[in-house]
Amino acid sequence: MQKLVHAALSLMLAICGGAVSVAAAPTESSYVASLRRLTEQEYRNTIADIFGKEIEVRGSFEPTIRSNGLAAVSTASLSVTPVGFESFSKMANDIAAQVTAEKYRAKLPCAPKDPKAHDDACAGKILSHYGRLLFRRPLTDAELDNRLGLSRRMTERTNDFYAGVGYSLSMLLQLPDFIFRSEVAIPSADGKSGTLDSYSRATRLSFLMWNTTPDAELLRAAESGELNTSEGLAKQVDRLMASPRLDAGMSAFFDDMLQLDTFDTVSKDSLLYPKWGSAMATSAREETLRTVIGLALHDNGDIRDLMTTRQTYIDRRLAVLYRVPFPFTGDWVKYEFPADSGRSGILTQISMLSMFSHPGRSSPTKRGVALLNIFLCSPTPEPPNDVDFSVVNDPNSPLKTLRERLMAHATNKVCASCHTRSDPIGLSLEGFDTIAGYRTTENGVPIDVSATIEGRSFSGAQGLGQYIHDNPQYPACVARRLYSYSRGVRSWSVNDFPDAYQAFQNSGFRLRALLKSMVLSDSFYAAAPPAPANEVGSK
Amino acid sequence: MKFNRRSLLRGSCQGALAVMGLPFLDCFLNSKGQAQTSGRPLPTRFNTFFWGCGLTSSLWIPKTAGTGYEMTVQLKPLEPYRKKLNVFSGLRVPLDSKPNGQHWSGLAAAITGIAPFRGGEFESRTIDQQVAEVIGKGVRFRSVAASSSGDPKQSYSSLGGTNHLPSEPTPLSLYTRLFGPGFQDPTKGDWKPDPRILMQKSVLSAVAEDRKRVMQTLGSSDRARMDQYFTSVRQTELQMEAELQRPSIEAKVSIPEAPSADIVANNASPNLKVVTPLMARLGAIALATDQTRIFNLSVSSPQNAMFVPGDPLGFHQSTHEEPVDPKLGYQPRVHQYNVASMELFAAFLKELDAIQEGDGTLLDHSLVMAFTDQAYARIHSVDGLPILVAGGAGGRMKTGYHIAGDNSPVSRVGLTLQKALGVSVDNWGKESLQVRTPYTELLA
Repeated sequence: MQKLVHAALSLMLAICGGAVSVAAAPTESSYVASLRRLTEQEYRNTIADIFGKEIEVRGSFEPTIRSNGLAAVSTASLSVTPVGFESFSKMANDIAAQVTAEKYRAKLPCAPKDPKAHDDACAGKILSHYGRLLFRRPLTDAELDNRLGLSRRMTERTNDFYAGVGYSLSMLLQLPDFIFRSEVAIPSADGKSGTLDSYSRATRLSFLMWNTTPDAELLRAAESGELNTSEGLAKQVDRLMASPRLDAGMSAFFDDMLQLDTFDTVSKDSLLYPKWGSAMATSAREETLRTVIGLALHDNGDIRDLMTTRQTYIDRRLAVLYRVPFPFTGDWVKYEFPADSGRSGILTQISMLSMFSHPGRSSPTKRGVALLNIFLCSPTPEPPNDVDFSVVNDPNSPLKTLRERLMAHATNKVCASCHTRSDPIGLSLEGFDTIAGYRTTENGVPIDVSATIEGRSFSGAQGLGQYIHDNPQYPACVARRLYSYSRGVRSWSVNDFPDAYQAFQNSGFRLRALLKSMVLSDSFYAAAPPAPANEVGSK
Repeated sequence: MKFNRRSLLRGSCQGALAVMGLPFLDCFLNSKGQAQTSGRPLPTRFNTFFWGCGLTSSLWIPKTAGTGYEMTVQLKPLEPYRKKLNVFSGLRVPLDSKPNGQHWSGLAAAITGIAPFRGGEFESRTIDQQVAEVIGKGVRFRSVAASSSGDPKQSYSSLGGTNHLPSEPTPLSLYTRLFGPGFQDPTKGDWKPDPRILMQKSVLSAVAEDRKRVMQTLGSSDRARMDQYFTSVRQTELQMEAELQRPSIEAKVSIPEAPSADIVANNASPNLKVVTPLMARLGAIALATDQTRIFNLSVSSPQNAMFVPGDPLGFHQSTHEEPVDPKLGYQPRVHQYNVASMELFAAFLKELDAIQEGDGTLLDHSLVMAFTDQAYARIHSVDGLPILVAGGAGGRMKTGYHIAGDNSPVSRVGLTLQKALGVSVDNWGKESLQVRTPYTELLA
């Protein structure tokens, strides 16, 4: 599968001599270190970049699951079910039909001598051009021969050159080489470790930083071997980082880390909250991403300030929900909440508050559990099965507010061990209802938003924001998630990438510093050989 | 049938843009002619119905066993089908050394016969997929799943592990999959195979031939994933093969018109009451026209998020937070949600029973297994898990019984169903859930 890659690599090794850190290895020993199924957005961006935005992607994608806090991690273990493949197959046929339709043909690299007959040279040009882009590596000679053969047979059956080429393009789109990002590694001399080949480096960099397939320049750098030199790599990384497309890459990361896909299944009680609509979720998701990208990338701010900033971006819909004025023109505007608004960073945005609530009621426990997991990488175990909730729910109880009812958990040791962690976080956010509206009373009783965690007392969302801001676990958590996201692996400690974390700290927690240091280090491209067949029993 | 996305999204129902509610339903009711009959034997179908958070034992378990039991308040919505229904109470769910994974272990045990190690994962294929190997071949879809609360992840039909078969999340997506491109309308007189499908099938064969090349450089866990990938390729190839056959069916059904707009599918109970019967009808027509023999419908996740507008708690949260009424002896609001769940099940059965085929109805030629995750959701207990099975499996299953509390493991139901469907299996399940004796008294 990778013969051509290795041919290019060994050629390049010969030319560059000692400049390359990879050990020369026999071509047969290279291995696939990881296979990651493209996410819906990666797929859509890839098609748009390769064929142009006018090509529509119509169909549904199999859902992903969240593993170790990220959907990106599960892409390295999920396969494709028959239902998922059926959809991929339909999309492939549809895309190929659009690309070979009359009005698109001028964009193809060549035209056949006779549109009713097979043309080996032109078909070969088209297939090797798109094949390289779709597979993120050149097709091998054998692969190209095979696709050309299919094209010829189909053209003979249809008397249509474009139909024939279209079916071959459709085939490329249905192969796992396209649907999965395959990371190919070359083993070290002792066979115990390995490092990604240059095309796989390009792929990993591009999907991480731009959330799409490598562009022409990156593929060129992979082909020439530049990506395997530290200067070449640095040059490409600088280029990727300087581009506005970095916004898309980091948005995709934060969308995953902040679990904003939760919105896909959030519904609110329209009787209690008539202001809520599904369009609200779309706006709220965008508000959070705009805030994060604005602060972390555009302003090159301290990532910790995401917990405390009063700056946000709103559209007309959100202005209604936040009960703030909105100018007559424009889609999105920058807005700063006043100091007495009680708002604190993304913690009090509609997204975080409404996703982790019930349809008709806020939930301090849900919010607390979610925020602990998302921002401090600290998941909460499930409550015991036979927990007796009647302690909390005595029908004749004088307990009026949620706080009073929740506090009853403290009387039960088993409950207390977790609730003393999660509830204070959620209770400090009780000044906001299930759709993030500000409030000061519940059932006629003033809401108490004070909280104490690990001996530190604070009040309200702003107190919570400062608490997380000051907690060293928070920036460490962001860094671990980024590392985990970039490689599709689990990460339990910043020791997985000590130098990058140090750079992050030294920069005052600037995302760019973390990202850059991470992708420039050699260890980022290390890829252990997969376990041999007999060692992997149950998964 | 002419079909494209534009007409689907922008079209109209009798001139009016149908957005939700009745006009939409009317569209579906539109007749488009009768199917032709072929005289070949009717296939047996297997369907599942999932709802989360169970029932209330004091309110659903009939007082007496056998036939002639007095209908209970929570099973009341199923009264019209009692002669076609078997009710199983007192089933045990022994988990051995496995943890009692909340809202998961019970349902996993019921449909795999194996207590799971981890939440969200199955230790084997689910029963519908096991059965599909025997009764589901040769038709267009090996199985179809739908979620009437709008979540594609809400599927209890799985190839094992985390490889769950996604559910169609809206009536429009279900319609499009079943009756959109690729559907061969059996009511059309001038049928001939679509040459494009023939070509697309050749492409799939070419993809399948690449299997060896792909496998070469893989480690074993990726090899298993690619194995699954190419199995999926093969399945889509088989699907196309079915699409190239002239359809012939027995059922007297009409193919619904393409809906003009989608409809909101979420956990609000008014929406569930509209979407569930709609999806059930689409599934029933797909079964009747032999598009598939397996249809799985779920109305909620295990932590059932159904809510009546105005109730800030909703079903799942109520099971934990609503006090047991000291006079009534149960949780009154939870009871309402329990009944609402059975109403949704009844709506499913209604659609299956409404289609006449051969000497009976589609329901008579099906088995429908309704299952849930908890026996008593308030404390997450699984022993006593309610299981309801409807349909006569084409005469191979006796119905109308209450099989009362004999302490059998829950997997005994699954074994019995497989026997009724003609699956050759001696035993089913693992460890304490392994069973060898079906309910022979139910097998005809």
